[in-house]
Amino acid sequence: MTVDCFKVTTYFGERQRTGDKFLAEALLDLYERHDIHTSIVLRGTAGFGLRHHLRTDQTLSMSEDPPVAVIAVDTQAKIDALLDQQTALTKRGLITLERARMIHGDDDEPSPADKEHDAVKLTIYVGRKERAYGVPAYDAVVDLLYRRNLAGASVFLGVDGTVHGRRERARFFGRNADVPMMIIAVDAGNQITRVLPELRALLRNPLITIERIQVCKRDGQRFARPHSIPGVDEHGLSMWQKIMVYTSDAQRHNGLPIHRALIRQLRASDHARGATALRGIWGFHGDHAPHGDKVVQLGRHVPVTTIIVDTPDHIARTFDIVDDLTDEHGLVTSEMVPALLAVDGDDRRGGTALARHDY
Amino acid sequence: MTLLVWAAVVLIGGAGSVARFLVDRTVSAWFGRSLPVGTLAVNISGATLLGFFAGAALTGDAALLAGTAFVGAYTTFSTWMIETQRLAEERVYVVAARNIVVSLLFGVTAAYLGQWIGAHL
Repeated sequence: MTVDCFKVTTYFGERQRTGDKFLAEALLDLYERHDIHTSIVLRGTAGFGLRHHLRTDQTLSMSEDPPVAVIAVDTQAKIDALLDQQTALTKRGLITLERARMIHGDDDEPSPADKEHDAVKLTIYVGRKERAYGVPAYDAVVDLLYRRNLAGASVFLGVDGTVHGRRERARFFGRNADVPMMIIAVDAGNQITRVLPELRALLRNPLITIERIQVCKRDGQRFARPHSIPGVDEHGLSMWQKIMVYTSDAQRHNGLPIHRALIRQLRASDHARGATALRGIWGFHGDHAPHGDKVVQLGRHVPVTTIIVDTPDHIARTFDIVDDLTDEHGLVTSEMVPALLAVDGDDRRGGTALARHDY
Repeated sequence: MTLLVWAAVVLIGGAGSVARFLVDRTVSAWFGRSLPVGTLAVNISGATLLGFFAGAALTGDAALLAGTAFVGAYTTFSTWMIETQRLAEERVYVVAARNIVVSLLFGVTAAYLGQWIGAHL
């Protein structure tokens, strides 16, 4: 059974405070109070926002204020109920609202009837120390997705979150066994549909969502530009678009890791509204076996995902930059974002009413 | 060694690390490119300053407070090392090597210049 749900994502600088708390903490407190089914705080490695102020972990004094992305998923009614408080808490940052479908693991009905040719983004949440048949759950999931020849999967470590409505926050001293991790995988709808029953069998109480996306590029091969969608829907509501670029720390363009080059070029451009690069801990794409960091190594081997949200016009220009940097490596996807609110103090642009558009 | 001197080490050392944070952040924000210039600016200016204090032949408590407390807290070897390691981690080995060589060359030159100025003042 699948349930239509909303996904709200907030992008901001980690040291942003609201009242006497950090914003990330305040948001999670809010999600905890509202018993939000799934949420996760992800710390980024590089990014910039509306003011084009660079955030990076490359220098020590700048890594104390990294970009963060906080994601919350639940039914429309529950997300609607907290949106006003959520937007009031955020003083500077980007809030997006997207539609997703949550797959309930406790029944065996066949999964969603997607159009066969559509690509799908599959997101699975597991606990850090959760195990499946004796091995770490994230490892087992990625291995399964790899063996089923999916286009790619990346694992991200959360530092805070809610799991089935229960707050699970990472602490310095503690096992942090149930702190959520997020696994993202991308492929054609029918391919994803095929692995869903296996995932349900593998995980005891899985949290899974699926979203419709478009695959634009894979390993230098271009399939399509992001759909050109109008700036507003038929009711005059603004529409936005998101590009996600999946690369590895090891893949470079002109000597620089692709995600660094991408953040640098987008930041230097006059149109980009912002971008956030998240570094994963494990994953694969294409034929390369799942990989992550090793105990003894110099360069890193982890996957990185760069997220860019903007107006359809700007996304078209951003895609030219992305296209140029991913001439050999990387998986590039695009999707529609039906609502976005960009907040900079009292300057609030966009809104939380969802646009509707068929493409 | 009096309690007063120890208290001054704490305060001046604290001021040194705050100064480092501010200089590093400002320089990084202005010139933030591939090389970690914030730490470079801190270490080079710190080397000049320590050279100057050495050249001026400060003695006793003055040398302790200016050199060990302030410059010791202001400059940072560990940040230089970890930022070099992070560059190597991202496989920009040339930049990592440059970070070491440039710091050494400029650092020794800066210490020499500082000492010369201190001695001739």
